Amino acid sequence: MLRSMTTTDPAALFRTMLGEWEKMTNSVGGDMLKSEEWARTMHGASAATTNAQAAMKTFMERSLAAANMPSRTEFENLSARIGGIEDSLARIEALLGAGKTRPPGSSKPTRKRTPPEGKA
Amino acid sequence: MASVPDIFAVAQTEFDRAMRRNLKGLDYFATSGPKLGASPKDVLIDRGTMRLYHYRARVDDVYRVPVLLVMATTNRGYIFDMIPGQSMVEYLLLAGFDVFMLDWEAPRADEKRLTIDSYVLDFLPQAVARVAAETGEPDVSIVGYCFGGVLSLLWAALHPTPLANLATFTTPVDFSAMDMFQSWADRRFFDVDKLVDTFGNCPGDYLYTAFDMLRPGARVAGNVRLIDNLHDDEFVKSFRMFDRWSTDILPLAGEYFRETVKQLMWDNRLLDGSMTIGDRVIDLKHITAPFLHVAAEHDHIVPTAASAPLLSMVGSDDKEEVVLKGGHVSLVAGANAVRRMWPKLAQWLSVRST
Repeated sequence: MLRSMTTTDPAALFRTMLGEWEKMTNSVGGDMLKSEEWARTMHGASAATTNAQAAMKTFMERSLAAANMPSRTEFENLSARIGGIEDSLARIEALLGAGKTRPPGSSKPTRKRTPPEGKA
Repeated sequence: MASVPDIFAVAQTEFDRAMRRNLKGLDYFATSGPKLGASPKDVLIDRGTMRLYHYRARVDDVYRVPVLLVMATTNRGYIFDMIPGQSMVEYLLLAGFDVFMLDWEAPRADEKRLTIDSYVLDFLPQAVARVAAETGEPDVSIVGYCFGGVLSLLWAALHPTPLANLATFTTPVDFSAMDMFQSWADRRFFDVDKLVDTFGNCPGDYLYTAFDMLRPGARVAGNVRLIDNLHDDEFVKSFRMFDRWSTDILPLAGEYFRETVKQLMWDNRLLDGSMTIGDRVIDLKHITAPFLHVAAEHDHIVPTAASAPLLSMVGSDDKEEVVLKGGHVSLVAGANAVRRMWPKLAQWLSVRST
């Protein structure tokens, strides 16, 4: 800081000041964000958002049920079942295709490499 | 005090920079930045949130033991493979390793049911089995980053046999030492059950905000520095790479997030030895393979205190911890990584991979 203050280069001074500002903000802001008051306020705000989301979810589920439409949960269950089928396919594919992913024309490297001298 | 000609020279330099800044500033908004994670690879497993990649070898003769990189579940694995010349994957390939990566996509809505057990007893064993099938080798070296390191430790404690070597980077075991996260996860105020029950998966935006607030001044200062350095192509390229990665945060599977908060953030069960996976108690003393832990001196996400007990908890006789200069991300992908960490890792693995 002191060295920069003796320079006539305003750009260098600005860069130094930016670095100092960042350090100070990280330090002071970090202490504030670690405080109990901040945690309480932040989670209070988050809880309000989450509650609103939960209320919306319930409302949508009821609306969809009334319209005889599948809910998000039902779609998720369906997706989970498709995921199960994908997993089964992946297992079959692995059994059939293990070691066959190499592009045509390329050969497997040998596996006999030893460390360079003096590294052991 | 600078002389008058010095002042003119400084003014000239700043004027030139300002001109280039304006020209390149247009370029910045008109282009999308370098392509990341582009090393040639084959996708071996594409299953829900799980991806297993096999990078194509760059040499004709590789070390016998393959290397499996395990990425943290909150972030994308291309931090290991940014661009040619700044890629740990490329470095390991050129050093003669056969490299695989266990990476993650955003969990689907129905994957909210995934638990820590799913990762440790299903995804990791499946990846290791596939690596064995692909290479024909019975053992594997695992390299885990951040929470990928935690998953690797949990897996290794339960599956000591196929493990040839284990290396972890910035891997926390004492979660009480993660001050900021502890404060935010304070059980008196943080209702994790309500969050998970409402959203299903923990939203990526929520995690992004948590990471971003660890250094409240960093984003503003970073953007000011970007404007200041728009004339410098290398600076802009580097900024874009790291900015894209750090904002590319993945959501977490709901149950997995709930368990992580309760078992690790609240009860610190890995440290006190009461953590269970599939009804089996995790004891890191069961890990006996050679072990390397690399910590970052200025890590703001996983402070060195959070990983400090790790070395003594692991049962290996051949174990080492290295604390390198740098932060959580620059440790694995910054200039220091290129100069220090990658050579250290390659050297450590090479003598244990024949």
